Amino acid sequence: MRCKEFASVLEQQGLSPLPDAARDHLAACSECQDFLADISFIVTAAKQLPAELDPPQRIWVSLRAQLEAEGLVREPAILRPETAGSWLRNLRALFTPRSLATAGVGIALTIAAFLQLHKPAVVQNSAATVAQKQARPEIPAQVRPQQAAANVPLPIRQPAKSPGRLDPTASATLTSPPSEDVYFARTAALNQAENDVPNSSLATNPALDESLRKNLRTVNEFIAECEAHLKKHPQDMLAREYLNSAYQQKAELLAAMLDSGRSEQ
Amino acid sequence: MCASTAMPGTALGGIRRIRTSRSAAIGQLARQRPAEPVAWTEAEAIRRAQAGDAAAFEHLYQLHGRRVYALCLRMVSNPADAEDLMQEAFLQLFRKIATFRGESAFSTWLHRMTVNVVLMRLRKKSLPTDSLEETLDPDSENSGPKRDVGAPDLRLSGAVDRVNLDRSIEQLPPGYRTVFVLHDVQGYEHNEIAGIMGCSVGNSKSQLHKARTRLRELLQEDVRDQARDERKASKSQSDTQD
Repeated sequence: MRCKEFASVLEQQGLSPLPDAARDHLAACSECQDFLADISFIVTAAKQLPAELDPPQRIWVSLRAQLEAEGLVREPAILRPETAGSWLRNLRALFTPRSLATAGVGIALTIAAFLQLHKPAVVQNSAATVAQKQARPEIPAQVRPQQAAANVPLPIRQPAKSPGRLDPTASATLTSPPSEDVYFARTAALNQAENDVPNSSLATNPALDESLRKNLRTVNEFIAECEAHLKKHPQDMLAREYLNSAYQQKAELLAAMLDSGRSEQ
Repeated sequence: MCASTAMPGTALGGIRRIRTSRSAAIGQLARQRPAEPVAWTEAEAIRRAQAGDAAAFEHLYQLHGRRVYALCLRMVSNPADAEDLMQEAFLQLFRKIATFRGESAFSTWLHRMTVNVVLMRLRKKSLPTDSLEETLDPDSENSGPKRDVGAPDLRLSGAVDRVNLDRSIEQLPPGYRTVFVLHDVQGYEHNEIAGIMGCSVGNSKSQLHKARTRLRELLQEDVRDQARDERKASKSQSDTQD
């Protein structure tokens, strides 16, 4: 084999194990030895060069703007109350059959919650009820929209065994899908409950009192963040799950606060 | 009293879960923006992008952008040009994404567009571009080791660093440079390169071998230049001392 043929073998097979004839030539030819050594070095050095590099963020920003300008992307509808004319669209949206139906559910929920909260509550078994809810899985790691569409209780007060003091309708289950109107209805019901929390001390222990109120603020902040996020990304089912869970947590907390207030009266 | 203290405790436990999960949730929400949605496969993202979903576009960009940018930067060596080229490549991709039928791998399709965009730009700049069939010299068959009689030891190992290599890659003709970067830097196989470049596997192997051979020559020139500069420097030093 000659150097030219050796080069041809190298071209076709790369640096993979060489055939016997090529190895025999290599053993006898210092030029080809140097050549192979240099090529091997180049390949090794090239493999150490980064195959991927982080592009500047501005590229995507510019690209995205261009895609929108060309009409290649379609964003889902986003609520923009500050946009001129949007209030009229929102108003019109209120009168669609679906909106009316969900608004009706929300009104019924609010009424039921109000009635429930203003009845003397029974403390028995409420800890067990709350503990039951505590035992439920935490905020789901995966989106399960079907769970949101299922009977999702919004317990304001749900003692398991109550001597008939509570209105059964106060179970306040939601059977409609968690549309935005439903979420707003829930918010209204919870806000109503929050207004009933006495401004005076909830417990003789000021630390506990402060802790309860602080926790309520934490929950409210989280709910506000989720709602703000959903306004921008209404299709984000994961955020809806988080928000749903936060509402439930708030309801439990309000129940605890109200019971604390009453027990001190 | 017991109940009222027990209930806040359990409610507090619930609130603690909220605080923990809140941070995780908000963090996850933040990480999800502008990152890709959970559990999208590439095929799903392509389907959604074909329907105009902005998030799907971004998903595909995040998936392939780093390799495309690396390829563009190695081809033109100028970050500003590389950014322009990358944007142009993705713009072409998204304009034509509705026509993608899946006959080839999506990444191959994207890289083909990228290479075409790059080579078109280089041709417009009137740089000496080589077609895939161009060769280094008339005696193209003799791409084996060259004999340098009397030259100093030009073994590359130990004399060449990454800077030298990067500079030498920049000097390769675009056709050779493309194949070399795709194969030796980014790890594509010859059959993939053939799909990207629109050539045969044999052609890809040939161009790669020529690219490596040319790189060796360029690096040897670098080593020679360095050795000469060092000799000059030491000579002038000894002259000064005298």
